[in-house]
Amino acid sequence: MNAKRVVGALLLALLLWGCKTPKQPALGEPLADLTPDQRADFLAGKEVFERVFDPKNGLGPLFNANSCAECHEDPVLGGVGDEVEVHATRFIPPSSCDPLFQEGGPVIQQNATPLLRALGIEKEQIPPSATSQASRSTPPLFGFGLLDAIPETTLLSHEDPHDVNGDGIFGRANRTIDGRVGRFGRKAAVATLSEFNAGAFPQEMGVTTPLSPVEETINDKPVPPETDPAPDPEISLDDVEKVTLFTRFLAPPPQQVFTNYDEKRLAARGKKLFGALKCAVCHVPTMKTSSSHIKSLDRKNVALYSDLLLHAMGAQLADICLGQAHPADFRTEMLMGLRFREKFLHDGSAKSVQEAIERHDGEARRSSEKFKALNDRDRKALLKFLETI
Amino acid sequence: MKLYTLAIALAGWLALPMQAAETDQLKSDLLGQCMGGRERCWKFQSSDQIKELVIKNKIEDAQKRVYTIALKLQAANTPGKYAAEARVEYSRTKTGWHIKQVGLLSLKKID
Repeated sequence: MNAKRVVGALLLALLLWGCKTPKQPALGEPLADLTPDQRADFLAGKEVFERVFDPKNGLGPLFNANSCAECHEDPVLGGVGDEVEVHATRFIPPSSCDPLFQEGGPVIQQNATPLLRALGIEKEQIPPSATSQASRSTPPLFGFGLLDAIPETTLLSHEDPHDVNGDGIFGRANRTIDGRVGRFGRKAAVATLSEFNAGAFPQEMGVTTPLSPVEETINDKPVPPETDPAPDPEISLDDVEKVTLFTRFLAPPPQQVFTNYDEKRLAARGKKLFGALKCAVCHVPTMKTSSSHIKSLDRKNVALYSDLLLHAMGAQLADICLGQAHPADFRTEMLMGLRFREKFLHDGSAKSVQEAIERHDGEARRSSEKFKALNDRDRKALLKFLETI
Repeated sequence: MKLYTLAIALAGWLALPMQAAETDQLKSDLLGQCMGGRERCWKFQSSDQIKELVIKNKIEDAQKRVYTIALKLQAANTPGKYAAEARVEYSRTKTGWHIKQVGLLSLKKID
């Protein structure tokens, strides 16, 4: 009898072990199931990500930050920063957008090296032909490799530019200037992770790369040679690619599982409300990556809570155009890891998740109004659910 | 003098197809290449996107060939025409010259 009980207990333990949820990597850790070589690539990329540039090894002469880590550090490497960038472009109604590349746009650098300051230039100016400017907080980079691996067809399958289903939501993909579907950036104007990273070196740090081998202009004027002592390109393609591998293998934020019964129940109620208020129409809970030779990226479900499409968010939030995004258009913000952030919306101007929801307008107005009309308990439930993702 | 002028004209006439072939080769080699980064990025997806390509400079040694080219670019499915300058680097391998990388020197929206 005892032997039977022991065998039964062992079988039950084996069954429970088999059913257990795989351990999620902690924030800032690499994806699970990487090979030893891939983990080595992650660590090598992390080193470049943390490299501090100075004028002798490429910084500036105009720049926003002196390392990738300066803007992506909270609460761990790959997260957000307290920096707020300035962007500017020219919008010509009804739908033409000039990113003002030649005049220094769209990223207007806010710092200058001592050699440039000695010439009286302390930062880049908003180009006179710009029609608007924007503030941008830095995005967290967790899970960006998975985001990069979602097939374009999946993004396009969520489009409804003419609101055929009549729900008041007009999602559409942005396009890069060369016509590809965009997904990275607050206006989804960048197509791939490698391009997102490759552009960060010249635009954020003033570091030239083999793909951008000359310094950007200072408001359409060439950089004075004496202010740029480092030979171009100031970083190798190999190092740029290492940073891409670091971000590609950076795990998504772990989801929070409440063990307390009341919290669990409240979050479950909030999840239902998230659907009922139509938040999930734009903040699509999951998408699946395509097949990949990298096991950690191969056909994975990504709980990104975004459709990666553009939606008109109303006149109050409107700022710059970019690609085919009009001033009021923004890519649906990804909500994964929301609980690790302290500032919200594209410019970091919302101090709480609740404030961010309440400031949703345009296509999201009806959902926002429904949220405001919730009773206290249901509002808490929805916010509790957002703490889990 | 007349003979001299004629010789120059003939040389130029003979060089034209060679340069056209070089331009066509560049257009073909650029397909699949990316230059720049973030919003200032162009991936050459079809030769139709290259509305104009002019070789502005060419430097070559035993192992490396570098072109500076001027481009007019336009994608079929998105509005806007762009003028760009690019640095195209080739390296010599056992099988011949192969494109190594393309660097974006300048980019401007022109239409």
